[in-house]
Amino acid sequence: MSYLVCVLLFGLMVGSVGVASNRSPYFAAMGLVMVSGVGCGVLICFGGSFLPLVFFLIYLGGMMVVFAFSAALSAEPYPYGWGNRSVKMYVAAYVLGVGCAWKVLLGKWSGFWGGNLDESGELLVLRGDMMGVAAMHDVGGWMLVLGGLGLLLTLFVVLELVRGVSRGGLRTV
Amino acid sequence: MTPIQMTFSTMFLLGLMGLTFHRTHLLSALLCLESMMLSLFLATSLWALQLSTINIATVPMLLLAFSACEASSGLALLVATARTHGSDHMQNLNLLQC
Repeated sequence: MSYLVCVLLFGLMVGSVGVASNRSPYFAAMGLVMVSGVGCGVLICFGGSFLPLVFFLIYLGGMMVVFAFSAALSAEPYPYGWGNRSVKMYVAAYVLGVGCAWKVLLGKWSGFWGGNLDESGELLVLRGDMMGVAAMHDVGGWMLVLGGLGLLLTLFVVLELVRGVSRGGLRTV
Repeated sequence: MTPIQMTFSTMFLLGLMGLTFHRTHLLSALLCLESMMLSLFLATSLWALQLSTINIATVPMLLLAFSACEASSGLALLVATARTHGSDHMQNLNLLQC
C-alpha cells in the first residue's frame, strides 16, 4: 500500500513540474487535471472518502472546465509543448531542484504513515471526514454565510471587471 | 519530514516558482496559482485525515470556495486583457513600463 502512495506522490511531482514549467496553457491545464486526479488518489489512500470526491467533482469538474474553455483565449498556432528548448530547460531546472531538496531534507524518512482515518478496519456508515464537513453546517454556520456572501461579492466583482463601454474594467472597448 | 508533507511543500514551491517566472501567457500564471491552491487543499485535507482531527475537514471546503472566488476574478481579468489587447501575452501589459 505504501508503494501505491509512493507512485501517486511521484505522479503529483511530475504533474506539478508540468504545470510550472511554462508550457502552453493547454498542456498546463492537462497537468493540473493529472495532479488533481492523483491527489484524489492520495487522499483516498489516507482514508478520506468525502474530501477526494469534493476534490474531483468541484475542483476538476467545476474549476478546471472553466480554465479549459478559457484556454481558447490564449490560442496560438504553435503552442509550446515538451519539445521547446526553453521548456526543457525549465523542466530540467525544476527536476534538479526538487531532487536536491528531497535528497537534502529527506535523507532519512522519519516515518511514513502519519495516520490513516480508517484504522479501525470496520466498515462504518458515518465516515470521518464527512462528519467533519457536516460540522461546517452545524457549528460553522456563520462561516457558510460569510462564504456565500463572499461568493456573491465575487459575482459582482467579475461583472464589473468585464463590463465595457467606459463603465467597468474595459475602458477602450 | 514525511514524504507526503515534502510532496505538497514542493508542489507549493513549484507553483510559486512557476508563477514568478511566467513568461508568455497570463493564463499559465493563473494555472500555477491554481496548483498552489491545490497543494493547500491537499495539505489541509491530510491534516484532517492523518491526525484524525476531523473538525479541520471544514477548512479544505472553505478554502475551495474562496479559491473559486479567486480563480473567477483572475479569469475575469484574463477576459478583460484579451478584449483590450487582443491576446493574453504578458508583454502587452506594459503600461507602467518606464
